[in-house]
Amino acid sequence: MAIHAAGSVVPIPLQAELVPRGTRTVVFERIFEVFLALGTLVGVVVVAYMVYNAYKYRDGADREDDFDPPVLGELPTGGGGGRKLFTSFALSTVIVVSLISWTYLTLLYVEDPPEPEMEVEVEGYQFGWDFTYPNGHESDVLRVPRDEVIQLRVTSSDVFHNFGVAELRVKTDAVPGQTTTTWFEADETGNYTAQCYELCGSGHSYMTATVVVMEPDEYREWYANTTADSS
Amino acid sequence: MTDEDPTDRNAGDSREGADANFDGRKAPNVDSDSRETPNAVNRESLNVDSGRELPDGGSLDGEAADGGTVTGNEIPVQGAVSDALTAATHPSRSTVRHWLTTTNHKDVGILYIVTSLFFLLLGGLLAWLMRIQLWEPRAVGEGLLGAMAYNQAVSAHGLVMVFWFLSPFAFGFANYVVPLQMGADDLAFPRLNALSFWLYLASGLLFVVSFFQGGTFAGGWTMYAPLNLPTFTPDVGANTAILALVLFVVSVTVSSVNFLTTMHRMRAEGLTLRRLPIFSWSILLTVWMMLFAFAALLAALLILSSDRILGTAYFVQETAGGTLLWTHLFWFFGHPEVYIVFFPALGIMAEVFQTFTGRRIVGRKWFIAAMVLVALQSFVVWMHHMFLTGINLEIKTLFMVTTIGISLPFDLMVFALIYTLVKGRVRFTTPFLFAFGGLLLFILGGITGVFLGAIVLDYEFRGTYWVVAHFHYVMVGGVTALIGGLYYWFPKITGRMYDEFLGKAHFAAYFVGFNLLYFPMFVAWETPRRVFQYDAWMAPWHKLATVGAFILGLSFVLMFYNLTKSAFDGERVGNTPWEFSRTAEWAVPSPPPTENFPGVPTYRDGHLAFRSREATDGGSSATSTQPDGGVAADGHAGEHDHGTHASIWPFAVSVGGFLLFLGLSGIREGSLVEGMAGTAYLLAAVAGGLVVFGSLVAWALEPFDSPEGGFGEAWPFDGVENGKVGMWIFLASDVVLFGGFIGAYVFTRVAAGWTGWHPVPEDPIPGLVNTYILLASSFTVVLALVAAQKEHRWGVVASLTATIVLGIGFLGNKGLEWLHLFHTGVEPTATIQTSTFFLTTGLHAAHVIAGLIGALYLLGRSLGGAYLSDHRPVEYFGLYWHFVDIVWLFLFPLFYIL
Repeated sequence: MAIHAAGSVVPIPLQAELVPRGTRTVVFERIFEVFLALGTLVGVVVVAYMVYNAYKYRDGADREDDFDPPVLGELPTGGGGGRKLFTSFALSTVIVVSLISWTYLTLLYVEDPPEPEMEVEVEGYQFGWDFTYPNGHESDVLRVPRDEVIQLRVTSSDVFHNFGVAELRVKTDAVPGQTTTTWFEADETGNYTAQCYELCGSGHSYMTATVVVMEPDEYREWYANTTADSS
Repeated sequence: MTDEDPTDRNAGDSREGADANFDGRKAPNVDSDSRETPNAVNRESLNVDSGRELPDGGSLDGEAADGGTVTGNEIPVQGAVSDALTAATHPSRSTVRHWLTTTNHKDVGILYIVTSLFFLLLGGLLAWLMRIQLWEPRAVGEGLLGAMAYNQAVSAHGLVMVFWFLSPFAFGFANYVVPLQMGADDLAFPRLNALSFWLYLASGLLFVVSFFQGGTFAGGWTMYAPLNLPTFTPDVGANTAILALVLFVVSVTVSSVNFLTTMHRMRAEGLTLRRLPIFSWSILLTVWMMLFAFAALLAALLILSSDRILGTAYFVQETAGGTLLWTHLFWFFGHPEVYIVFFPALGIMAEVFQTFTGRRIVGRKWFIAAMVLVALQSFVVWMHHMFLTGINLEIKTLFMVTTIGISLPFDLMVFALIYTLVKGRVRFTTPFLFAFGGLLLFILGGITGVFLGAIVLDYEFRGTYWVVAHFHYVMVGGVTALIGGLYYWFPKITGRMYDEFLGKAHFAAYFVGFNLLYFPMFVAWETPRRVFQYDAWMAPWHKLATVGAFILGLSFVLMFYNLTKSAFDGERVGNTPWEFSRTAEWAVPSPPPTENFPGVPTYRDGHLAFRSREATDGGSSATSTQPDGGVAADGHAGEHDHGTHASIWPFAVSVGGFLLFLGLSGIREGSLVEGMAGTAYLLAAVAGGLVVFGSLVAWALEPFDSPEGGFGEAWPFDGVENGKVGMWIFLASDVVLFGGFIGAYVFTRVAAGWTGWHPVPEDPIPGLVNTYILLASSFTVVLALVAAQKEHRWGVVASLTATIVLGIGFLGNKGLEWLHLFHTGVEPTATIQTSTFFLTTGLHAAHVIAGLIGALYLLGRSLGGAYLSDHRPVEYFGLYWHFVDIVWLFLFPLFYIL
């Protein structure tokens, strides 16, 4: 069903502008900004309305005559105001459902990435990361070319870890006996830090690895000189 | 502080005519099917009568009124009321013995509240340790805590707060308030209620002990596999922590069965489920979720304990799917748990909002419908905790939809609460401020939760402080409302008013501290969870959070001072200090008398009224909606005799359970720890086991009066006696327990390749023989029941004997089969195949053994001619025994044929 939906959204012309595309950083930042803006707006409006009403209807000398307070021991019933309740509920439903549907289109994109340039095997262990390149080269540093889609196949040799590089917005679980895949594309060269995001033992806080994003040419030169031996 | 005389009184609202009518309708019903306590107590009718003959003891729990012989009750309603007032200052309440033996729901409620606040302090202390460590990014070895100490603090903080503080705190109120709100004299099974509490305390103390056994569990509150195995967390304390959780789950299950039976069977006349106050509704739904969710957790924890103590191979990294099996089992429990801890808070918000706005809640039935929807849906969202584990897109989509679906009913509930303010008369008392603040924080927690519902964002938030901040806004937002509940019901519980100024000061400090603590976590959300090394730019935010943690924590000093002082010299309150209070707990004195109500509460005429407990005395004890508890009617100084209302055995069982589990913690993968300690652990386990067994026998033989149900609204269990309802509900949770084990088997087998996996016993014949043996034993149990109904003593004895012989035959046959397997080198610890076979059929065998113990007890009693006039114990035993047989009918093909 989901796959079918994915197929059917592709031809919509507006979609390119509506649904963010690009690196995972771009995708995340765009959606996060929209959520943050709308979330703040909704939060401020609802909280302000709540506080305003609590203040406005504070108990004071001027009790209105039409006030119909509950009586001790009465059978519980509801107060009036059902219509307003449903209007607000409907409104919030529309906001939430449309927001999530919108991000779902992006999810379909993230789940079906562009053809990767390279696939690297990642193995987590207590307490570090081991990267294996297609040519068999192993290292504890992940070097990747800029502007290219890299696929990661992640697993663990002992306990449950989670491989993530915060700045590149890539993250996936490292489950022993199982492989998960994820992808990313870095658009700036430099050093990044990969980290473990699942409690894994005494060294969890320091279970990091360096990710180096290189100029593609530079990268290819470096890669050509690697062998199946560990660095 | 609002001290006005509350609502208008309907004191002249006498209902003598109705009384006779009421009792006339009720008596035959009760007489025929609910004379004996349901509580697997099996006391003789004789004991009931002797208990009732006591001057006033028998009337305490309404047994006399319900027992059919209403004229035998000698205490007029007025006398009962004055009794109550004596009870408030009753000397016996200040004795240790009283608190060790009490079974009264109000006492148990107080015990729960006080104990849970102790665990709040413990969990808070652990949080402070973490926040101190997080003051700045720490290099290896820096800071107050070492790496493992930090991991222990993180794990224990989560476990203590979620299990030993949040739910028990809420259940303190549930214990105290729900029977009052629904018009019950006590819970259906008062001794089981006391047992729930003592097991809870025992489990909590066991957890505390774990810190001193080389260190407690350090694998996070989610206890992910295989970090949760001795290979990675080898300390004895880690075993103890897991076993403490098992004991806690036993407590929860006992409590769930008790609450469900009570709430479905013992509501006042006219108080249908739909008319239940919202707090009671929230507890009802919480308990239903607990019943099933905690059964799943029990399955997970038993399997984990088996892996740790016996050395089975479910979660070891070699087992295909073992790691994910844990995440499924845990989150199947873990997500409903979120609502389990939040629902009571929601119920309190609704109560407090209604009282302090003077308005009935907007859209009440929709509010309840929304809660029901959430409770049902909570069992189909668990995989949203596992979006990154490699589950496929279809399943992700499905769980995204259910997750968003479950958030929408909360929107409705939040709006209902907000609109209740409109046109109200809002009084900013301490309870209202906490409930209002709690709602506000929950709204922020809810909005930030929608972020997590978007899977693309969830991918990046996974394992970061966004999640930490979000769930603290939700769960501690709930705690905020629960504290509002504490202030709200404090005058009811103590009979005295707290200091309003200090209460408000507490709220101010609490609210500021809360936001200083948790809001910076949203800003510094990129900090990975459970680390103390983070990017330097986040340090100021973490410092702010640490400052907030101390303000939040210290704000409780105000509360403890205020409440402790006020409990002794606060201003006395009458029935209610709150204007516009509606629910029944405010219609009785503060604190309420032991038997709660001056008469039988009823809503038959659309509002609360108390009918005289005795038909003959209706005139003099004219009932009123507002019994005047404020004026003490002196002259009745008689001591309550708790002979049929107190029991030491729940406490004794829990002491035994504590020792037993402490002893078991000393075993690691099949062998005891070395040296003297090993012997000590062994002795503790043996002693504990004996104490548990002996206490249970003494419990069964002890005469005890339990309140009966079925006198009012009992849908959907009209005419089904408490004991039977309790048994059904317990078996429902047992279905989930076995479901967890069978699910684990199917899951690991699919992961390993279904067809490549052969049944462990090569020879299915012993299993087949056992199938016939069990079927035959079910037949003999039916015969026993028939014989009991025909009052044929030796028929009962012979049928029960046959059942026992067949049961022993089953176990003997299984024992031979297992011995044979062991001799051929097939051991439980060898592979996942053998582990699932031995553990699942072993769990079933344990059920058979428990059933045999019950059967032996029945046999012993039946030799003396028991069960001929009252065959219900035989019937309930039969329900259990048939259930165990049916389970075998599933296990046999799964483990011997397929």
